[in-house]
Amino acid sequence: MNSIESLYRHEYGHLVAILTQRVGVQHLVLIQDSVQQAIEKAILKWTPNTTPSNPTGWLYLTAFRFFLSEQRTSKQKNHLLAQNPIFTDNQIEKLEEPPLKKELSDSLLRMLFLSCDDKIPAESQLVFTLKSLCGFSISAIATRLLISEENAYKRYGRAKLFLKQQHTSASILHNEPQPSRLASVLRVLYVLFTEGYLSSHPETAIRKDLCFEAIRLALLLSKSEWGNTPECTALIALMYFNIARIQARHDTLGLVLLADQDRSTWDQSSIYKALEYLNLSTKGNSISRYHVEAGIAATHCISPSFAATKWENIVKAYELLAQIAPSPLHTLNHAIATAEYRGAGAALILLKATNPPHWLSCSYHWYAVMSDLQYRNVQISEARENAAKALERTNSVHIEKLLHLRFERYEQALR
Amino acid sequence: MSDNKYICILRSNSGACEKPSAADMESMYASYQNWQQKFADNILDMGGALGSEGTIVRSDSVKDGPFVELKEVIGGYMLLTATSLEQAKAVIKASPMVASAGTSIEIRQINTP
Repeated sequence: MNSIESLYRHEYGHLVAILTQRVGVQHLVLIQDSVQQAIEKAILKWTPNTTPSNPTGWLYLTAFRFFLSEQRTSKQKNHLLAQNPIFTDNQIEKLEEPPLKKELSDSLLRMLFLSCDDKIPAESQLVFTLKSLCGFSISAIATRLLISEENAYKRYGRAKLFLKQQHTSASILHNEPQPSRLASVLRVLYVLFTEGYLSSHPETAIRKDLCFEAIRLALLLSKSEWGNTPECTALIALMYFNIARIQARHDTLGLVLLADQDRSTWDQSSIYKALEYLNLSTKGNSISRYHVEAGIAATHCISPSFAATKWENIVKAYELLAQIAPSPLHTLNHAIATAEYRGAGAALILLKATNPPHWLSCSYHWYAVMSDLQYRNVQISEARENAAKALERTNSVHIEKLLHLRFERYEQALR
Repeated sequence: MSDNKYICILRSNSGACEKPSAADMESMYASYQNWQQKFADNILDMGGALGSEGTIVRSDSVKDGPFVELKEVIGGYMLLTATSLEQAKAVIKASPMVASAGTSIEIRQINTP
């Protein structure tokens, strides 16, 4: 992805957010069209010599005028004017003032808080954020999330419809973001990051740009009055620890497991930045799942080799996570770390004591971990059974290849 | 003679450009681990760590933190007693806190009436 494209994408998000804040979310569709028009005009018109001194201001005014002209030709104009006192003439002058930098980032964050409503399904919040705040097209979103365009559009539409129904007046204009929604906002940013990080998309650039969008929004949030909390700082640390290792997760053949990654390709400056944010995140009096997950990532990043990993620290961290943010996936990872620290037998005992939800216990992930642990604990027939079940359930060729390699390694050792 | 009181203010570069050493990173990691351990042990003692929020008041403006973007971040403080500034210096020089690059500790005597 080139930098011009991302520049326009970011401007798009800012402009949609500021116009939404100024004229109301019920006009979202027309706002998006207007901003698109303004950006297209800029791409055609601007050359290095003719770029206006305040590009954002220019784009804003152009988009706003387009928005206004559409209103004026519309039959519903009178109705609109009656509903929105903001369109009376002296208000329009006010609306024509180009936004300031702080106002732009504030609007972006307000929009983020608005869309992170628990009543909107999480997958819709994600698509809505990517489209409206990060400026990705529906087809670009579909590519990045590995879903169909139709599905992406459906998810987007659900969020849009909800927002339109909820905010039929200009009610959001002066609404302050609700602090109680910060947890949802952080979750959406984490999901956004993870979608990029865990993606099996063959192009590194494509995987990275979702991660960078998440980091960009999280940094913006941490500098705002609504998001400067230890949790947000810890989440930023977690993101930097992971982005440092994103290159090493893939090679020309596909996914590379942690144990086999070339640690010299881990980006040390990102790790350093992560450590700084991690230490900043301890300057409050609360701990969150992001703190502990970042602590786990830090343990891996600091370790010179897989063999030298401080598994004791990782196991302890998972024990802490089980208390503050219990999740079946954490339990599975707890078991994997336990296998390194105390052996596969101990890990199997831990898993036997848990009661995983159906979506996990019938996933390839669960069977693959069980099989791996059973091979290591020399329960060969069970291991083979679970290996077959894992392979049946994979949904990606990359994972299938990875599992094949892994099971084959154990089988060879048995011969 | 009675001891003087000194405040030692720890500052560190937030955007260090020098390549960090493995030892630096190890000690940053260790300090996080210690912090986390306090929660694991259910002992909440924040010691002399400073909150991330703050305000800088100048004659013409008031700016609220956190000051993540500042070049130097005040990471903590400690109080110590010593007979002289020389002795306080010796104590601080021996502490592991100054070991990492990009960190400075300012020592100021607290004058009590």
